[in-house]
Amino acid sequence: MKDTPETADWAIDVSHVTKRFRLTSSARSLKTAIVDCLSGRVAKTFTALDDVTFQVQRGETVGLIGHNGAGKSTLLSIIANTMAPTRGQVTVRGSVSSLLELGAGFHPDLTGRENVLLYGAIMGIPRETMRRRFDEIIEFSGLREFIDQPVRFYSSGMYVRLGFSVAVQVDPDILLVDEVLAVGDSEFQQKCLDKMKAFRRAGKSMLLISHDINTIRHVSDRIAYLSHGHLEGMGDPDELSRRYIEEMNRASGGGLTSEGIPARLAQKRRIWGTGEAVFSAVVWLGEDGSETAAPEHDCSDGKIRLRLHYHANERIENPVFGFSLTGFDDDHTVFGSNTQLAGRTIPVIEGDGAIDLFIDAGSVHPGDYALSFSLHSADHTRNFQRLENFLLLRLTRPANFEGTAALPFTWS
Amino acid sequence: MTMFYSRWHELIQILVVRNLKIRYKGSALGFFWSLLTPGLTILMYAVFAKILKFNGGQAHYLQFLVTGILVWQFTAGTLSDSLAAISGSSNLVKKVYFPRIILPVTTVFANGVNFLLTIVPLLLYLALTHTLVLTHALWLIPAVLFQLFLCVGIACFVATLNVYFRDMQHMVGIGQLAWFFLTPVFYDTAMQISAFPLPGVSPGLIFLNPMTGILAFYRRGFMGEALLPEACGLSPAWVWVSAAMCVVVFLLGLWTLRRGDRGFGDVL
Repeated sequence: MKDTPETADWAIDVSHVTKRFRLTSSARSLKTAIVDCLSGRVAKTFTALDDVTFQVQRGETVGLIGHNGAGKSTLLSIIANTMAPTRGQVTVRGSVSSLLELGAGFHPDLTGRENVLLYGAIMGIPRETMRRRFDEIIEFSGLREFIDQPVRFYSSGMYVRLGFSVAVQVDPDILLVDEVLAVGDSEFQQKCLDKMKAFRRAGKSMLLISHDINTIRHVSDRIAYLSHGHLEGMGDPDELSRRYIEEMNRASGGGLTSEGIPARLAQKRRIWGTGEAVFSAVVWLGEDGSETAAPEHDCSDGKIRLRLHYHANERIENPVFGFSLTGFDDDHTVFGSNTQLAGRTIPVIEGDGAIDLFIDAGSVHPGDYALSFSLHSADHTRNFQRLENFLLLRLTRPANFEGTAALPFTWS
Repeated sequence: MTMFYSRWHELIQILVVRNLKIRYKGSALGFFWSLLTPGLTILMYAVFAKILKFNGGQAHYLQFLVTGILVWQFTAGTLSDSLAAISGSSNLVKKVYFPRIILPVTTVFANGVNFLLTIVPLLLYLALTHTLVLTHALWLIPAVLFQLFLCVGIACFVATLNVYFRDMQHMVGIGQLAWFFLTPVFYDTAMQISAFPLPGVSPGLIFLNPMTGILAFYRRGFMGEALLPEACGLSPAWVWVSAAMCVVVFLLGLWTLRRGDRGFGDVL
């Protein structure tokens, strides 16, 4: 039963897809399988996707958003045909290249070069064609020196770079990308975005997952919002990302509202992360200990006192809190640091808590600055949450010097 | 079939090369091991056969044994390697789609390449000892063909089941040993028939073991041996039971893989 008109020019057709996973022990041993079978025990299941139906049109870019465990990656896997739906079906028109969970299907023992050929062979690209595209792939990934090393020695960032480069260079009709923008430096992210734009101009279809709501809102024609396996809505990127952010805030205690924020701050604000732990509120502290939750703050003496309220949805060992102060208009970083760099080890966080931050910005030139905050794992591989350009700080003490900060100096 | 080949032969080729590369990676002698291992195995059997004064009822026992072991190792190597064919490639299987049968087929081909390498010294050895008889060499065609059917079937079956039941690795180890003793590798079919334990049942049933017939094909092809020793009074047509069993195993393997394929993404 298809409720799609035959004439529609779709590239991906997801029709009533439901996916259930078995929860108990997944029957890895023959004994338990036989015992379960004989006793008629039915394994507990978890519904990851519940009757999801939508289409991606040819040439369309669709962003897939939703909280952790909403079923985004499962849906992408089903479309990529590496997982079978429990019910329903997915039809795809054209060749599909995918980057699922940051990997393009690499073999750790093979070198970067061999993996490129392997991926090309999987995608049905003749070896000669792949060889000709080799330079472009290496160029794009920026991994020339490492291309003959086994990919097992690659960092996660290098892995993603190569993965994205290959997935794009095999020139598919449809590109599926899970979280490519979470890893890699901003330069590479920009390259990815440019590549995606070119891809889009070429009339190809894309389905993207990202926790970076702001970016995904900009690159997508439409957004599909998944919540607990349901397709909550599909359509206008602005409206759906707003709904998603509000929903996220409600779930995390309602601290980070987007109401009453000056437009120029709202434009720059980016909130994203994997969500194992989130900030529930960032407030200004008065000298008397009072808390003010305003998004803007005027400061005449340069003494910045903040309280960062957080909520950890699970037990997290050695989390790192970080902050940075950047020029509001020129994005120039004035200063940034974190608890790790400061030698303040936080053994564990779980549930609700708060951490205080004091910054003496007395020597910084007056002007408008943005404050960003981050909460990530000790090895920097997971960004639980980043609040980029979250607060607007106005330093008002008059100064008689040029530049970013006053340095101590003497004439003699 | 030809479409499948033209679409996927490059992938199969890359995976076979990878498989062989990884097998000998970091070992000083590299590919020589594929010659050395069977060579040393044969040496051990030869020494023990000499000590025990056992000749398996054969005039050219050592040649008979060498042929048997090399052929057996193709099947046995496939059997043990196929355990990891799918479960060991989880990051490919989870991330990108391609027909999963390519993975077990790769295992078969990699072992096949090894087998081919050992054929060269085998031919040399048989020629030097004047036991190479190539008048019946056409029998090598069904020999190779049915062994490939058997190996692909086994590889699909074992690789699929090992994804779901990790008990497979233990069962395969012991099963392989039992199978070896049931196969006329170091003794001949005549001995097996005379020792057949079930009265009133035709001893031709030993050919339900697909390897029994396959060894008969190979030994006829390389050494000109009879498919079945005349003395045992059985029709040589029984060897085709083994051939049929190879096809049965092949189909069983394909069916198992087809059934299991849908769930790989969930359990890997």
